Amino acid sequence: MTSDAHAATSRVADVPLSPHFGWAWWLALLAAGGLVALLGYTLISVTIIGVGVWGVNIPYVWGFDLINYAWWIGIANGASLFAAILVLRRHDLRTAVNRFAEGVALFAVICAGIFPIFHLGRPWLFYWTFPYPATFEVWPQFRSTLTWDFWAISTHVIVTSLLWYVGLIPDLATLRDRARRPIVQRIYGVLALGWRGSVRHWACHQRAYRLVAILVLPLILIMQSTVAFEFAVTLVPDWHETRQPLHFVATGLAQGLSIVLLVAVLLRWGLRLGRYIDEGDIDLLGKLVLASALISGYLYIDEIAAALLSGGLAQEATFTRMTGEYAGLYWTAIVYSVVIPQLFWFRAARLSTVGGVFIGISIGIGIWFDRFSIIVGGLQTDYLPSVGRGYSPTLPETGLFLGTIGLFAALLLLFVRFLPVISMFETRHDEHEEKSS
Amino acid sequence: MTRQPYGIMAEFKTPEALMEAVRAAKRAGYTRLDAFSPFPLSDLAKELGVRTSAIPWIALVAGLTGGVIQYASQYWMNAIDYPLNVGGRPLNSWPAFIPASLIVAILWAGAATLISLLVILRLPRLHHPVFAVPGFERASEDRFFLCILQDDPEFDSTVVREFLGALSPLAVQEVPACE
Repeated sequence: MTSDAHAATSRVADVPLSPHFGWAWWLALLAAGGLVALLGYTLISVTIIGVGVWGVNIPYVWGFDLINYAWWIGIANGASLFAAILVLRRHDLRTAVNRFAEGVALFAVICAGIFPIFHLGRPWLFYWTFPYPATFEVWPQFRSTLTWDFWAISTHVIVTSLLWYVGLIPDLATLRDRARRPIVQRIYGVLALGWRGSVRHWACHQRAYRLVAILVLPLILIMQSTVAFEFAVTLVPDWHETRQPLHFVATGLAQGLSIVLLVAVLLRWGLRLGRYIDEGDIDLLGKLVLASALISGYLYIDEIAAALLSGGLAQEATFTRMTGEYAGLYWTAIVYSVVIPQLFWFRAARLSTVGGVFIGISIGIGIWFDRFSIIVGGLQTDYLPSVGRGYSPTLPETGLFLGTIGLFAALLLLFVRFLPVISMFETRHDEHEEKSS
Repeated sequence: MTRQPYGIMAEFKTPEALMEAVRAAKRAGYTRLDAFSPFPLSDLAKELGVRTSAIPWIALVAGLTGGVIQYASQYWMNAIDYPLNVGGRPLNSWPAFIPASLIVAILWAGAATLISLLVILRLPRLHHPVFAVPGFERASEDRFFLCILQDDPEFDSTVVREFLGALSPLAVQEVPACE
């Protein structure tokens, strides 16, 4: 087994340790870096000029800021939930996809966090949501979903990053021990915190890791529900529904899984990791994506059923969303997140790289339009007879959205370059188990 | 007086050989043992009597503390210190205080578990005597090590060396102590 374990470690460890990485990576990083620069520009412009640069206005006070926030949180939660379930079920897939599913979750939540802060208008005063002894001795209003969201996002960022880092420690030690250049040894050495692989340490490490994975499950459900509560607690007829948390959690899961699939397929192809993320893994992921797309479909039907049962203005609001000025958003969401993924009934589509990329992006687009449809289309019908002009995103808003995609891609590219994307110690463990059985 | 080493270490090729060695060492009466492996070995951890039951308790206590603190602080701030009447809703609007309390309970439990893990493992540390052993870098890759520590009551450098040598290891080496 030793030579196999050695080979397994090499294949994964060689990626972060190799001094050269090819032009494709540089090109991708350059493109992502360009988008990050765009992000910086749009953030500075909104900070200096104010939210007037966005297309938002009464009653459409939420535009791309909340659409993209809800979208990124969906990716983060779906990916986290998936990673946690794999760890808890001790599923074979976890070795292959767990690490980067956690990475996807962490980077997505970083992107998500940008939106609510900048949408405050005066982002430098974001700490006002935190209960601190202010001069006027007024405390935050804790009955507001805004404060729930503050706790939810900060908890999500802290717990996800801690879990990701603690899971990485043993692999950072492997990189430290395999590195040849002193400076690289030193960097990984510091990051590995002096991990020495003692059996005692392993036992505690695994116990703590699994325990926090359990904690992630309720965290994700509450976090995503908190996002949904921000809609549900308002008096807007289309939003004021108890089904909102379920809708956000389930469609968010579909979206998180589809992005995990997308990244898995790209890594497998780009880093030639076919041996670790094998056909079975990709097939299984594809089936999960298909199942979650079917659940999204069920929720769209449930939305219609809920509207029919509620009657009155709520019913009118939902049907206006489907047929009114913004109907295109609703139907695009259905087509991209439910109809197109049905291609995954075919095994060949699940196994092909193109299929994975296509469906992964398709669901991402679909759920993005779903959020757009809820946030903008849902506001067309209100208790007031006149609701003012419509909403369309401005260039700075589009730049902000593209910018966060660039930030996500850049973080993912750096992760792929400098850290092991597949858990090396889990791989060694699996190979040993296979040998001995 | 010559300085005592940190311990004597034997290197093995497979986890099974390491397991055998640990059992043999326990039979021979050694109690201060440490083993090193490139992946978790739960059976070996059991054999060495590793206890991890403190970790869930830390999580539970931290989680409850965090949740109670969050609820109590929301109650105190919005109902006692600065009563905030919003549309005539009760000052202690407990349903509205629940989401943040649950989330912060998870925050405390998660952060306490992972941070106390490092405290329990006494990490981070910059150096450890075992790192001085030539070839120990493969403990993070494909080699398995057993170390009998110098503070074992049965410890005697020559005897331990002979004992470990008889277990057919790849190598037996002294782990020099460091300041």
